Amino acid sequence: MNVILVGMNHKTAPLEIRERLAFSCGDGLRPLEELLKNPAVREALYLSTCNRVEVLARAGDMEEAITRVKSFILRHGNLDAAELEKCLYVHCGSDAVRHLFRVASSLDSMVMGEPQILGQVKEAYRDCVEQKASGIILNKLLHHAFRTAKRVRTETAIAGNAVSVSYAAVEMAKKILGSLEGRTVLLVGAGEMSELAARHLLANGAGRIIVANRTYARAVQVAEEIHGIPVGFELLEEKLQEADIVISSTGAAGYILTPAMVQGALKRRKNRLLFIIDIAVPRDVDPEVGRIDNVYLFNIDDLQGVVDENVRNRLQEAEKAEGIIGEEVLKFSEWYNTLEVVPTIVSLREKAESILRAELERSGSWLRALGEEDRKNVEILATQIINKILHDPVTGLKEESQSNGAMPYVAAIRKLFRLESEEP
Amino acid sequence: MEPLFFKAALAAYFAATAGYLVSLVARRVVMAKLATWVLGLAVVLHTVHFLEMYTERGFNVAVNLFEAVSFFTWIVSGAYLAFQMRTKTRVLGAIVAPFAVLLMMLASMGIEGTLAIPDALQGRLVPIHVTLSLIGEGLFALASLAGIMYCIQDRQIRRRRMSGLARYLPSLGDLDNINHAGLLWGFPLLTLGLIVGSVWARTAWGGSQWVADPKTIWSFAVWCFYAFLLHQRLAIGWKGRKIAVLSIVALAVLISAFIGVNFLSSVHKFT
Repeated sequence: MNVILVGMNHKTAPLEIRERLAFSCGDGLRPLEELLKNPAVREALYLSTCNRVEVLARAGDMEEAITRVKSFILRHGNLDAAELEKCLYVHCGSDAVRHLFRVASSLDSMVMGEPQILGQVKEAYRDCVEQKASGIILNKLLHHAFRTAKRVRTETAIAGNAVSVSYAAVEMAKKILGSLEGRTVLLVGAGEMSELAARHLLANGAGRIIVANRTYARAVQVAEEIHGIPVGFELLEEKLQEADIVISSTGAAGYILTPAMVQGALKRRKNRLLFIIDIAVPRDVDPEVGRIDNVYLFNIDDLQGVVDENVRNRLQEAEKAEGIIGEEVLKFSEWYNTLEVVPTIVSLREKAESILRAELERSGSWLRALGEEDRKNVEILATQIINKILHDPVTGLKEESQSNGAMPYVAAIRKLFRLESEEP
Repeated sequence: MEPLFFKAALAAYFAATAGYLVSLVARRVVMAKLATWVLGLAVVLHTVHFLEMYTERGFNVAVNLFEAVSFFTWIVSGAYLAFQMRTKTRVLGAIVAPFAVLLMMLASMGIEGTLAIPDALQGRLVPIHVTLSLIGEGLFALASLAGIMYCIQDRQIRRRRMSGLARYLPSLGDLDNINHAGLLWGFPLLTLGLIVGSVWARTAWGGSQWVADPKTIWSFAVWCFYAFLLHQRLAIGWKGRKIAVLSIVALAVLISAFIGVNFLSSVHKFT
């Protein structure tokens, strides 16, 4: 299979090398144009994301194409050859296909199962089509990759559950409260992680955010950033009864939320479910609060536990995904392999048809003596004989193509049927 | 009469149960979706069965215990599907469907039983009484099933077990909403059903010996129990686990009132 894939990703190359490459191949340049200038590269796709830079190509001459693509990357990365060799991987044939399928299915991503990569591959393919850099092979290959990614997504739970702490918080909130539509979030204290979690909650439908801080000015500042309502600490108890989700991350030494406070708030809010996330170390919320009915208290370790569990789950699902990808690589190879016999099959059919037409013409004089109906029948009969005769050699060729042993048969058929004029 | 559609519905309930279980074991949401459609099919078949009965002998859904059970199943499944359309709580089907199969198997033991309706149950108010009460009790049962699931999910979350079953259970909020709606709608219907029943009993028997009937007493107990639940919910503001636990107890009372007591009752005894 004349498909090659040369590239580097987050596992093989350090960030500074990847960014140098992504930058120099950025907007202004047209990497595809440059790649295609070389006759060894027949079709090409250039994929560049923050975690990888890859060139997928259909090669004329494999060795030549690999060297060309490597030197292309070398030139743009300002790298010396030794450094480059360490970072690059080169896949040929079905390995290249497998790699592409794994990338598109997000098995090769830094955070396995993240959904953006498929969009990025699609984007790269769009560029490729727009610049007319794709032909029959890459078109088929990329569409096959998209289909595989879709299969992996629907048939495995690889993208199933949150693998970051702040997103795990959102997931737990949904598990407890159901829809987040219109829910109130109370941020106690401020911190990067709690703000991130709050943003995630907002993105998932949460209605409003109240920011409580010991220093009011800081509350105002944080509230501005995330479109929240700032309040002073003295209103904490009152606001506790309005909140559905509390995220606490103050630097206080003692407990900020005590069982009595929460119990009181719960009574006033008629026992509506309350989800409290305590990401402060030392903890802000008395662990006893977690024993209260209808209150669910998660600390940072609990959330990390959820994440670990989800990561384990994704790894299990990844094994299933590898199986699916294996199947799809096989399907693609089958299609690709028939390609080498397709031209021969086509010219064989054409030859048979031209013979048929010529013979019908030659017998035109006596055929005209027949009725309309009979003339049709004779034509049908002749066509059927041709199809029957060609059927076995054609299926035979297709079968042989799957074991890479078709070339002698192709040669024999071309010779015996004198098909030689066209390209092999 | 050969209850063809009844049998088909039973088969479909069974298939839906199998689908839900497979989806839980194999962790495939697709299976649960499929099972929900199959459950829908079961309810449709079941509806056809009732229509057939209706055309055959008029509106009298519950001439015997078995048909009452069958009707009850239909209510529970139908109400669940209605909730399913509004909330994404497909997994609740995994508990509703087996419940339906059990009841349907019970019902099938006598679905071909006698069609003779005792004279005392020929009154016009009887079908209304039976229908309203059954719908009310069906909704209560659904509320309780949601309660069972609530307790399971609550336990899973508190024990920080996020894998396996917990992954597929509906959220606590949704389960609590189903419980709420079941109680809210079930209560007026059962109340009305009981009132109609007592009005009719007064006219039919005149006296008050029906008041001492075990079924009457148990039904009243069910009514009181769920009235208490609803009161705690609406007036006191109980939510979540407390209500869920009580709902399970209430379901036990409901089932014994519904099935067990029939064998003791004189007036409500079927067949």
